[in-house]
Amino acid sequence: MVFIMRVSGRSKRFRSIFYNTLLMCLLPFFCYADQFAAEVTQAEIKLQGESYVFSTNIVYNLSEKANDALQNGVPLFWNLQVKLQQQRKFIWNKTLLDAEIRYRIQYHALLNMYRVINEGNGDVYNFSTLSAALDLMSVVIDIPLMVRNELDPKKHYLCAVKVNFDRDALPLPLRPIAYIDPQWYLSSDWTLWPLKK
Amino acid sequence: MATEKITPPVNLYVLVLFGLILLSLQLMSSAMQESSQLSAMYSWLLLFNALGSVVLLILVGANIYSLVQHTKRREAGSRLTTRMVSLFVVLALAPAVIVFYFSMQFLHQGIDSWFNVEIDRAMEDALELSQASLDQRMRWHLKQTQQLTEKLEESSENQVTLEIENLRELSGASEMTLFSRQGRIIASSSINPGDILPSLPDEHIWLQLRQNGLYVAIAPVHEEELMVRVIVTVKAQESQYLQALYPVPVRIADLADSVEFAFVRYQEMNYLRNSLKMSFSLALSLVLLMSLLAAIWVAFISVRNITAPVKALVKGTQAVASGHYDQQLPVIAQDDLGFLVESFNDMTHRIAQARDETRKAGFEVENQRAYLETILANLTAGVISFDAVYKIRTANQAAYRIFHVHVNQFIGRTLLELVESYSELAESLKSIQRLLEQADDIWQQRIAFLGPNGRQELLCRGTPLFSQEGLRVGAVVVFDDVTDLIQAQKNAAWGEVARRLAHEIKNPLTPIQLSAERLQHKLADKLESADATILQRSTRTIVQQVEAMKEMVDDFSEYAKPSKKQTVDIDLPCLVKEVLALYALKSGVRFKADYETGLSMINGDPVSIRQVLHNLIKNALEAIGAYGLVELSVRGVRKNNTDFVEIALYDDGPGIKEEQIEKIFEPYVTTKAKGTGLGLAIVKKIIEEHGGAIWIDTNRKVGAGFIIQLPACNSEQL
Repeated sequence: MVFIMRVSGRSKRFRSIFYNTLLMCLLPFFCYADQFAAEVTQAEIKLQGESYVFSTNIVYNLSEKANDALQNGVPLFWNLQVKLQQQRKFIWNKTLLDAEIRYRIQYHALLNMYRVINEGNGDVYNFSTLSAALDLMSVVIDIPLMVRNELDPKKHYLCAVKVNFDRDALPLPLRPIAYIDPQWYLSSDWTLWPLKK
Repeated sequence: MATEKITPPVNLYVLVLFGLILLSLQLMSSAMQESSQLSAMYSWLLLFNALGSVVLLILVGANIYSLVQHTKRREAGSRLTTRMVSLFVVLALAPAVIVFYFSMQFLHQGIDSWFNVEIDRAMEDALELSQASLDQRMRWHLKQTQQLTEKLEESSENQVTLEIENLRELSGASEMTLFSRQGRIIASSSINPGDILPSLPDEHIWLQLRQNGLYVAIAPVHEEELMVRVIVTVKAQESQYLQALYPVPVRIADLADSVEFAFVRYQEMNYLRNSLKMSFSLALSLVLLMSLLAAIWVAFISVRNITAPVKALVKGTQAVASGHYDQQLPVIAQDDLGFLVESFNDMTHRIAQARDETRKAGFEVENQRAYLETILANLTAGVISFDAVYKIRTANQAAYRIFHVHVNQFIGRTLLELVESYSELAESLKSIQRLLEQADDIWQQRIAFLGPNGRQELLCRGTPLFSQEGLRVGAVVVFDDVTDLIQAQKNAAWGEVARRLAHEIKNPLTPIQLSAERLQHKLADKLESADATILQRSTRTIVQQVEAMKEMVDDFSEYAKPSKKQTVDIDLPCLVKEVLALYALKSGVRFKADYETGLSMINGDPVSIRQVLHNLIKNALEAIGAYGLVELSVRGVRKNNTDFVEIALYDDGPGIKEEQIEKIFEPYVTTKAKGTGLGLAIVKKIIEEHGGAIWIDTNRKVGAGFIIQLPACNSEQL
């Protein structure tokens, strides 16, 4: 069925003004949305012995506001999410693995150093520079995910990795701003690749 | 109809929604406390409240739009609703905005008051003091470690293991390790015998160590434990390093940690100052916005509920105004408005009752009026009623039959206005008008006028009408056509005269005639010639006059006796033709006859009708003399739903004088020197005995014209 809507000239003009205004309001969000996002530069899941291990390289781009907050003692949290899904033709994929590594980075004014804590296992790392601290979070090497026989060689699997900046872990007054300010869009997109068995 | 249930202005759903809004706002307020478990849900609560605000905004917007539409359409109660809602919004908005403004002021000033330069400086100084204290401890441990290396340099490799144990205990270090440049552990001692593997420096420490030859730093070992790591070069040539780990006393670590925590907390708060202001402002604005929107929405609902009876009343009033008196409104509440609605219902009920009674009375009056109208319409007497200013109000059918004027068309006009259209009625109408205006009691008068069927005599009786207050409100005039009655009276009188004449006069005439003839016969021979001549002349005169008197008496007898003796169907054109044929040989007179096909049959006595035609033709011939024109036409006409055959006879003689027209059909009225004056009287009598009418055509200006109308009969039906 085809609907034909006749629009008057005045209505068209009004609509044009409305869309232009909306676009201008949303333009900053589109422009800066990915500027400070983390980026997964390399990721792989490979078979090492009888286990599948996960390795990735991530580049963290701290925005000025994020850096400022960190320097003022605000702890920042990132979740490194790894998913392994079985691909299916006619229904949605089945998630076999959903692992997460949660990092916390915080500045210590007394010792003038940056502390990175792996919230999963409680490991604490201290660094005198921010870049060194971020480097620790950037490289993940050979994290075992699952054993070989858990996967069916005849089936196809999809791997996905994402670094998600936890805005809800920010101090409460910062949260509303973090949801609307592109400088706080620090999460990466999902990176997908097929699993090589 | 009336309900005793008292309903609140706001229904339960609205209260539930209000409760949800309040709960949501309370949750958001709780979530703003850092320690609250709801803190993690703050964003969701904020979003939920924002969505709630949007929903309320849409509801309010929809209500405003609806109200504007209703106001534009001028619907009942819309303006009252607008006024009440506007008033409510203004009353609610003004204090809310004032409170909001001052709350914002207090909030911003309150947050700003937390921070000042002195506290800033004190916090920085405290941190610096802590750092200075730790630095001093580090320097002291460095110096201490450097002194220890001198003892180690003097020891051989075999003694190092024992020496390092002594040195560790002597220095108070928790761990002491000697390792080579390549990182090979030469000797190690720990306060904890279970620690087999000593804590080795990482890459960054190695880098710094290779650059500077020594390394000293303080680092947290566990969450709340600080350790001073000192690494110094032992032997310059073989490049051995001695690492000593000195624990920071717990008290100092706690104090430093406390200072750092306070500093970081203060710094964070200072950093979040603007965000905090914005966050609180946002929450406050959201609370105000939701409260106001909810209040406005509830105001709409409440006002709608309050004005519902008013709306219903307005609609009901409009319905009553347009004649729907059965309007009954539901009583929603037992308040003042409910009382008003009940009163309205009572009023409409009474109005409806009154209307029904009025309608019933109206029906009765209408029936009576229709009944009277039917009677009036079927009266043979004409009835015309007048209002107070003598304008015609009603007139019945008989008025038309009598006047031959559609009086109904002159309703609302006076009789004098009819005069302009009907001049022949002028005198009669003026006379009635004068009587109407002057008479204060019942009056009666006989009036005559020349109608289309000849002279008509009317008997008028007028009755003035008075109101109960005695004011004249009109009049009624009843008139009867007494033409026929008077004519019948006249005919009867003349008939009586004729009979008496025939009886009283005709009887003596024969003896007179015989006596005169006897005188002539007996005395003629006995007298001298001169006397005999006189006798003969006298007796002849007597005989002639007696003959003349006999003829006259015969005429009277003829007039007196009924003419309709043997009735048959007569084809009138044929009869006329036969009669005219008798006069066809008369030289000098032209006859022009016109016969219309169609209705031509009448039922009557052919002898009498023939006599009528003879009389009229004779009259015409006598009027025109030796030369002239006689026109005669026979045609069918329809009057008052009755078919007539009309005979019109015209001559071009001297005509009939106007003063004789009214009495031309009466006996002994004649314009001729010779004649009894009974010719036209007999004609009229015969015509009337046949159910017809004869009159003089006054419209004709040349000569005389007679029009006869006789009821036609349908021979086919017969």
